Amino acid sequence: MSELKQKADFLENLLKERAVEKYAFSLRESEKQELNTEGDTFKLMRTVFGGGAGVTVYQAGRKGSASGNDLSEEGLAALTESALAAAESAPEDPAHDIAPDQGKHAFTQGAVEADFDRFFDRLEEMQTDIAAEYPSVHVMEMVADHTAGRTIYRNSNGTCAESVSGWYDVTVEFSAGDGEKNTGLEYAFQRLDSLDGKLIDLGDFRRKFEAIQRQIDPAPLSGKFEGTAVFTPGCLLDFIGMTLDNYAGGGVILDGTSQWLDKVGEKVADERITIGFDPFDPRIVCGERLTGDGYLSEPVNVIENGVLKAHMLGLYAANKTGRPVLKNDGSDLIMKPGAESLETILAGIEKGLLIGGFSGGHPGANGEFSGVAKNSFLIEHGRVTRAVTETMINGNLGEMLQHVRGISKETDDSGLFSLPYLAVDGIVISGK
Amino acid sequence: MLNDIIKPQTALFEDGFQTVLRGHENRNRRVVLLKGNLTANSRSEARGVSARVGKDGLYGFASAAEYSPEAAARVLKAARSNVLLLDRHAKTRTPMPPALAQETVPLNREIADAEQKRIIEASRALDDYVAKTYPDLLSRSIVYTEDSQDRIVYASDACSGHLTSPRCYIYVMMTMQAEDGTPVELFKALGGAGCFDDHFTDLAQYYPAIENLYQKVKDKTHGIHAEAGYKQVVLGGMMGGMLAHEAVGHTVEADLVMGGSVAGPNLGKRVASDLVTLIDFAHTYNGSPAPLPVFLDDEGVKAEDAVLIKDGILTGYMNNRETAQRFGQKPAGNARAWAFSDEPLIRMRNTCILPGSNTLEELIASVDDGYYLVDSRNGQADLTGEFMFGVACGYEIKHGKLGRALLDTTVSGVAFDMLKTVDMVSDTVEWSSSGFCGKKQMIPVGMGGPCMRCHIMIGGR
Repeated sequence: MSELKQKADFLENLLKERAVEKYAFSLRESEKQELNTEGDTFKLMRTVFGGGAGVTVYQAGRKGSASGNDLSEEGLAALTESALAAAESAPEDPAHDIAPDQGKHAFTQGAVEADFDRFFDRLEEMQTDIAAEYPSVHVMEMVADHTAGRTIYRNSNGTCAESVSGWYDVTVEFSAGDGEKNTGLEYAFQRLDSLDGKLIDLGDFRRKFEAIQRQIDPAPLSGKFEGTAVFTPGCLLDFIGMTLDNYAGGGVILDGTSQWLDKVGEKVADERITIGFDPFDPRIVCGERLTGDGYLSEPVNVIENGVLKAHMLGLYAANKTGRPVLKNDGSDLIMKPGAESLETILAGIEKGLLIGGFSGGHPGANGEFSGVAKNSFLIEHGRVTRAVTETMINGNLGEMLQHVRGISKETDDSGLFSLPYLAVDGIVISGK
Repeated sequence: MLNDIIKPQTALFEDGFQTVLRGHENRNRRVVLLKGNLTANSRSEARGVSARVGKDGLYGFASAAEYSPEAAARVLKAARSNVLLLDRHAKTRTPMPPALAQETVPLNREIADAEQKRIIEASRALDDYVAKTYPDLLSRSIVYTEDSQDRIVYASDACSGHLTSPRCYIYVMMTMQAEDGTPVELFKALGGAGCFDDHFTDLAQYYPAIENLYQKVKDKTHGIHAEAGYKQVVLGGMMGGMLAHEAVGHTVEADLVMGGSVAGPNLGKRVASDLVTLIDFAHTYNGSPAPLPVFLDDEGVKAEDAVLIKDGILTGYMNNRETAQRFGQKPAGNARAWAFSDEPLIRMRNTCILPGSNTLEELIASVDDGYYLVDSRNGQADLTGEFMFGVACGYEIKHGKLGRALLDTTVSGVAFDMLKTVDMVSDTVEWSSSGFCGKKQMIPVGMGGPCMRCHIMIGGR
């Protein structure tokens, strides 16, 4: 029996001895090996022996949680007492609950064993590829790691799940310059479970390296116009996150401030829009298997063909509002691609902006957003003409989904999400 | 509080390596009341030990989620193995930074732990007060959050010490319905550095601040969209602090300077009007404790103030030991790590633009057509100094008088251009300390500033 299982047995017995009515807990052990470069030099190697435990208890409708990383018997006992103390002082609220018995499961995903020599080789190859193919790109830092871990989850309803997973992450922080002028910072990220291919060919690396090279000499935009914004997949990730959070998240449904409060089953977006979460999609590396409430994760669409299918409610918010729970914690975002190429979409735009990143305040509950368009290009008469700087965009998250001009067939598959380019009309674009 | 069980392991430090051993605990307490419902009620402790070993400009780091002499020995060994492994792949090697004077920095304060029951009671009492006093709110939430660091640092050739950094806040968030039926919101963070009893035994002291928050949200229900464009504005103190941190602070972090930041070629040059002096304070401001005091960093450098801009001239960067050597500057204690498993990075501490001689009233009276931007929601900047701040609270200024409130908007600019337009600075500084700065790791930071009159790009319909 593994040591982690013994600790889980110990903790479960402890909770039973303390006559806890309902409980859920997870124990985790992990190891991360991380390489950090500075420029083209491997500068820091980091090993993190990790681990932790989280316990949630429910006594007479009172919920308390505690977490820590002391997995000794004394540490787990202290954690249990801490959770009980938190519950004791909480108000009674029957909406707090855990998922019904989901059975016993064992999950193994990804690259559990690291091939670190090969990873080193792939990273050195990537450095060489960048230098050869994108000479203006200056890699400020590359952070590359392999993480593997084992998690045990159990609850008092009988659910028992053990998950073993491992993956590689590569994050590149870079700019571009010609000796006199430098661009701003750009980032690219990829999660992978196989080292079979060249890293530079994965995800959005090449597109971002190409784009930053064309950003070296941007010019400010003059004046203001209402035009079409084409969001790159990485930028779209932020906008979809903000939109779902603002209109479909548990907080805004619970407090009643969502503008999609009573819109389930109604059209909230262009019929080409389908957005959901699919932990089993083959493009996702080590997808979610269990939600925080203890449900087995399921593929779900929040918006399907423009129609709002569900709010993103955890069990508490679902019980509190009498609405259905979403059996997914909002990981593994997938947006259905379109039928047109990006080139075709761009060709139909009279005036607009291709937006590589967004630096803006989190929109208020009304969905109004404004911020700086980063790493962006002006689109004029169907062509991407020049890089711009000091350019702001303004719009409304909800309206954006209704004013869709096109969705690309190309996607960025980062291992964490799969998203296309999205072109929307009616965005206010302003320069100095 | 951590007991010092790692000191004996310093005997394992090896000659020829620059070594730092750190015992480290983070605590977190969190209670959330959303419209009266307790939606979060949690406590966490994460404790461990880490070692960083440097040789020839390369570094090995290792950490273990266990605080014991055995774990300390294990991470020292693993960190040494890592730097030796790295040495086999290294393309360049550089001399390690010179040794610093060794001394022991004394413990700055104890961390006092409040029972969760008291935290919930205080949060509940404040929620009851808000619900009863302001029945016309569409929604409200009370968020208690407390985080603390407890660190024991031993460096082979620098300072050592046992330091703590507790802070706790209650965020009061209010949402009202605007005239067009859409919700508008604002929040206020109450509290600061210290523990529960330092701030929350007398909740009534916060009623005026809560009333002020309510009035601002109410103003916002009649809010208008800002007119997009390049405008003359008065930045409030919180916006001044955001400017100090985001627009300038990040560009003068030496690792970003090495990455091509605009500050690189501007050292010693004018980057702001002569009304602007910017300092990253270590632990003391104007004779009193800075909002989040830092006495010793995680490389064993005793913390001092870092003067970044003096009378408009860029005078220095924020450094770790290695970049200080590279740029010929003195390390001032900016290498900070958030958790036991984190390596130290160059981070800000209490970054502040110094006050001037005008009053806020004089600044507002001097603007014919512009905006008074009071409070920020968040901010970002990049290597070029191009920045943006989300503006959560602001007012129009017409003919020297405040007008209607603004709906959420964003301002942007290029730091070293925008700072040259600062032509009036108020005589008081406003600080905030509740935020985290994100840069691979999170880290608590303080930021402060006066009100400033300047020109800036503002977004709007």
